[in-house]
Amino acid sequence: MIQQLFGFLSYYIPEIICVVLMTTLLVAESAVKDEHASRGKIIGYALGMLALCLFFLIQNMSEAPIYIFHNAITIDPFSTLIKIIMVLGTMGTIFLSYSSKDIYSNLKSEFAIMAVGVLTGGMLLASANNMLTLYLGIETLSILSYVMSSFKRDESTSTEAGLKYVLYGGLSAGVALYGISHLYGILGSIQFVEMVAKLPGLEGTNLVLVMISFILFFVGLGYKISVFPFHMWTPDVYQGAPIPVTAFFAIIPKMAGLAALVRVSFIFFTSNAALNVSWVGLMLVISAMTMTVGNVTAIGQTSVKRLLAFSSIGHVGLMILGIVTLNDEGVRAILFYGIVYMFMTLIAFYITSHLSDMYGTDSYDVFKGLIYKHPTMAIIMAAVLFSLAGMPPFSGFVAKFNIFAVIIEKKLYGIAIVAAINSVIALYYYVKLAKTIILGQADGEVKVAGFTPANQAVIIALFIPVLFLGIFWEKVMTISGNAVLFIK
Amino acid sequence: MMSLASYLIISLILFVVGLMVMISRKNIVAILLGIELILNAAALNFVAYSRYVTNNLDGHIFSLFIIVIAAAEAAVGLAIVIRFFQIKETIHVDEATQLRN
Repeated sequence: MIQQLFGFLSYYIPEIICVVLMTTLLVAESAVKDEHASRGKIIGYALGMLALCLFFLIQNMSEAPIYIFHNAITIDPFSTLIKIIMVLGTMGTIFLSYSSKDIYSNLKSEFAIMAVGVLTGGMLLASANNMLTLYLGIETLSILSYVMSSFKRDESTSTEAGLKYVLYGGLSAGVALYGISHLYGILGSIQFVEMVAKLPGLEGTNLVLVMISFILFFVGLGYKISVFPFHMWTPDVYQGAPIPVTAFFAIIPKMAGLAALVRVSFIFFTSNAALNVSWVGLMLVISAMTMTVGNVTAIGQTSVKRLLAFSSIGHVGLMILGIVTLNDEGVRAILFYGIVYMFMTLIAFYITSHLSDMYGTDSYDVFKGLIYKHPTMAIIMAAVLFSLAGMPPFSGFVAKFNIFAVIIEKKLYGIAIVAAINSVIALYYYVKLAKTIILGQADGEVKVAGFTPANQAVIIALFIPVLFLGIFWEKVMTISGNAVLFIK
Repeated sequence: MMSLASYLIISLILFVVGLMVMISRKNIVAILLGIELILNAAALNFVAYSRYVTNNLDGHIFSLFIIVIAAAEAAVGLAIVIRFFQIKETIHVDEATQLRN
């Protein structure tokens, strides 16, 4: 028994590393004085530990799927790949937070602590195999996110963002929990496997109750990935929070929530026909509404941060389309999209962050004529915008193409048309920003201080996957194809 | 004699009251109380189902976790409310309107 438990722990090393990193960072933070250099060491240590975590995750990729801790946690290639995306995203945002002026200099290592905490919650959510782990994952993710969004504590906007996040988050978590409690009562267990065994025999009142409970449960997950009826908090929180935090929110909670949504959809909605039809219908409606609301609202924005927030809502809407098909190709498309989305979002936020540090605002104006001052950065930003819009030859095109391929294969032409129209709308506002960068008039020869050689090198390194995954996508596609969900 | 139905009705009432508090009250602390009511409705459901229907310990364990997490969430929520009060000198939710188009 004990031996078995220790055997399980060997699969759980990445999460353990994260928890150890959090605690040691807390101790290290209390030991340093107010020097920038020693904080640099702490950030370096955090990045090193996360790289170690990444190494163990890549090792786990090749392992056979396994259930550990009394079926509470699944370690399968799907969850491991999602975790790799999340760890890479966390490393990127921690590096950004070190140079960003948006995070107070005495809070740099606190940002790392909170980010690693949210990452741990996300990992728990991505590999949750019963309702309790899922709920714990959501709450670990949420509670630390509340703190992160109010990180600029002297400014009313950031505090207001935190406040809105707490109120909406608490409500949606409570509603989801109420749904879970009825699911537990009707299906008799909190283990996914045991719950799903009861589903085919359901009929009458119980079936209706289960459907209602699943909709309530969906509120909790839908809120974390900010789909249509529960997206109201997203722009406000994204705008109020410091830019590294916004970049973090655009990647980690969304990937974790999507992973949980994929797992729940695949486990529960493939056995009972009535449930399957209603869930797929719900997903289709929600996906269409999320895309439309995200993209249409993004048009009128003047703040680039808010624009990226709305466009991230649109991207999530598109990723949900990979779920409605309930097959392996859909999961593969989601994973590939997730990888590409992570790199594109990081670059967009890096460049926005450095510009906003320089000018103190993130409106379109600061991008004007960037090409005369920093040609490389301007071209990369324009390319990333085109990639986000899904134009070839960038990787965003391949990601979008995959999603379209799976839904057209399922003959869901209506939703494909909605998605295509949304791509056109998205192209409009991305190109508008790209036009400002390339054709706008520069305000003199002032160089942007944030674009140091080191930062430029990191941005270029992040850009390489965006460029090359658009042409040489086979390898990554094979990896995502192998990482399909393991459900038993 | 208490039956399962009476527990479920009480928890439904708690849930609806919590929702109403969240929608209608303007005081942020009262809204946080509404969240607590909703969480407690769920916890009550878990214990009642565990006692009357499923006869396993899952529900009891779950309700313990809910209590712990509700405390953590309330702590963070109140900390942010205090910060908000120090900046705005009010805890009226209608004052939180700076982030809009």
